[in-house]
Amino acid sequence: MKGKQMFKRGMIFFTAFAMVFSLIGIAHAKKPIKIGAVYIMSGFAATYGKFAKNGLTLAVEEINKSGGILGRPLKVSFEDSRAKPPVALRAFRKFVYEDKVDVLVGLDSSGVAKSVVPALTELKTPLIITHAATPDVTGKQCNKYAFRVSANLSQNVQVAAHIAAKTGARKWTTIGPDYAFGHQSWEYFQKYLKALNPKATFMTTTAFPKIATEDYTPYITTIMNAKPDGVLISLWSGDLINFIRQAKKLGFFKAKFKVLMTLGAATEVLYALKDQMPTGIWVGTRYWFLANHSPVNKRFIKAYKKKYHVYPSYNAQNAYAAAYVLKAAYEKAGKVDKEALVKALEGLTVDVPVGKITIRAGDHQALLDVSWGKTAADPKYPIRILKPIVTFKGSEITPKVSETGCKRK
Amino acid sequence: MSLFFMNLLNGLSLGMLLFLISIGLTIIFGVLGVLNFAHGSLYMLGAYFCFQSVSLFHNFWLALLISPLLVAVLGGIIEMSILRPVYGRDVSFQLLLTFGVLLVLDDAVRLIWGSGYHIVNPPALLNGVVHVAGFTYPVYSLFILGLGPLIGVGLWAFFRLTLWGKKIRAASMDREMAAGIGINVNRLFTGVFFFGTWLAGMGGALATPLRAIGPSMGEKIIIESFIVVVIGGLGSFPGAFLGAIILGLINAYGAEYLPRMTMALPYILLALILLTKPRGLLAREV
Repeated sequence: MKGKQMFKRGMIFFTAFAMVFSLIGIAHAKKPIKIGAVYIMSGFAATYGKFAKNGLTLAVEEINKSGGILGRPLKVSFEDSRAKPPVALRAFRKFVYEDKVDVLVGLDSSGVAKSVVPALTELKTPLIITHAATPDVTGKQCNKYAFRVSANLSQNVQVAAHIAAKTGARKWTTIGPDYAFGHQSWEYFQKYLKALNPKATFMTTTAFPKIATEDYTPYITTIMNAKPDGVLISLWSGDLINFIRQAKKLGFFKAKFKVLMTLGAATEVLYALKDQMPTGIWVGTRYWFLANHSPVNKRFIKAYKKKYHVYPSYNAQNAYAAAYVLKAAYEKAGKVDKEALVKALEGLTVDVPVGKITIRAGDHQALLDVSWGKTAADPKYPIRILKPIVTFKGSEITPKVSETGCKRK
Repeated sequence: MSLFFMNLLNGLSLGMLLFLISIGLTIIFGVLGVLNFAHGSLYMLGAYFCFQSVSLFHNFWLALLISPLLVAVLGGIIEMSILRPVYGRDVSFQLLLTFGVLLVLDDAVRLIWGSGYHIVNPPALLNGVVHVAGFTYPVYSLFILGLGPLIGVGLWAFFRLTLWGKKIRAASMDREMAAGIGINVNRLFTGVFFFGTWLAGMGGALATPLRAIGPSMGEKIIIESFIVVVIGGLGSFPGAFLGAIILGLINAYGAEYLPRMTMALPYILLALILLTKPRGLLAREV
């Protein structure tokens, strides 16, 4: 009798125990994977942060709807970098030490990226860069935790140099923003174009207006007066919009020289200018939504357009891609762990809207296709589109790891 | 030579736009003694209102009429509701308050219109270009170039020749004495703030065909306007005109002759003025 009762109690106890544990187990499996995202959410470049948030939010919703990653949902929090290195670093520290995020995503400004990347070795948390384009963070500053899934400056400018070489224009100058991005664009352009066309020359009359300049007319007239054969323009976003409108009035696009705009195909520029965007100009971007017709890209464009009513910008794609890169990496690793994630990301190939991208193990830079094109009008679209489009393979336009200055191994 | 002439035009038209904006700042300071940090945000609001009106009514001139008025009404409300109670207190209260207004307006604009960029085309009448010295030059910039002095002269005449102008100057010299001789100072101040913000809104609306409309366009202009009024002398009318032209020309010729220095030039000039003539080039006689 007694033994039987003991057995019965034991059974109840055991069952209760098991139930509690399985509940904990379920709760554990449901614990979200936390992503801390830092972008520019205020000020003159706030539109970049907005796009990144759109792209990342869409991807997270899609992934969570289809069961999450390894059965766990994704949870993403956003912080504003205000384009300031100390602010971004503080946000990253908060994410890692207080919120205990599993991975970091973000960064628009190259200046911010350059000062934040060295701190990653202290934070011991992987960061997926989706926009900041300075070659240095996957070059001489590279470290174990810094990854980039978007095209960098040197890849984009390499394409510019190929196109510049084909135009036959010999005497080149530039108009670019007066900080690292503008100066590095010009420096890499000279290096790459010289290699492709030894006859190319580079003028001493260049224009580097300060960032957020409102009036470009003096720069435009100075460059026009210098009579170059070709002009490389690395202005972006609001600055580029101001520049194009003022340049158009001064006859800049009707002059004899060739014009290349490294970020002219950014959708925020095309949407703002609509039919004011001159046609027949070579423009670049870091993702052009019509450059490929893969199922992944088509699905992305459709979902993005449905949710936000505009065609996706490159920054939206880049952030969207980051979420799917993380999904692939966690699934490859089979667990959610920072060190395992680093290992899994190295050499990983993922199919994202921009195309198949491969993260190089050597410097953590993604090899990806970069498309440029000539602006053209098309009644089917509310904005200028690119026609023809030229696409260069990532392997053609990315310097070898040994040439990037990355000495991690 | 032609480049020199082109940059003269560039500098002058930029200067005239700066003049329109800084004159509002200087009037408000001269009469009310308030340094209005939100002036740039009101300029931005003028631009957004203009963009909104143009997309609703498809008429730039109508937008030019409506948008500065809306900005001015908001300015009047700001003056009556939050500035008036702190006139008697320390100046720092006003500075903090107007700075607060700046923050609120900047975020409100982002909430309403988003963080993207917008453009407004010039009206058909002014949309063309003229050919000068081998260059093409936009008619709209020439329009701004002509409008600046017109508004300047109009304002000067108003303040010198009309009774209202005289009352305003009297109140700016001695608030209590003006009240003592029967001028309704409160109403006068509201009127001046209304007018000053109307000028800011006007500047914003007039700038839309030249500049992309985006968040924080106010922050850039407020710094330039401050430089203009400090160079010219805070509260001085001709000073704002002179300061604006100097800053416009510095920007234009700086880009041509000292391209690596353009960012620093206005500040160097500002420092020089503060060191040699701290009250500005054309300071008001006190």
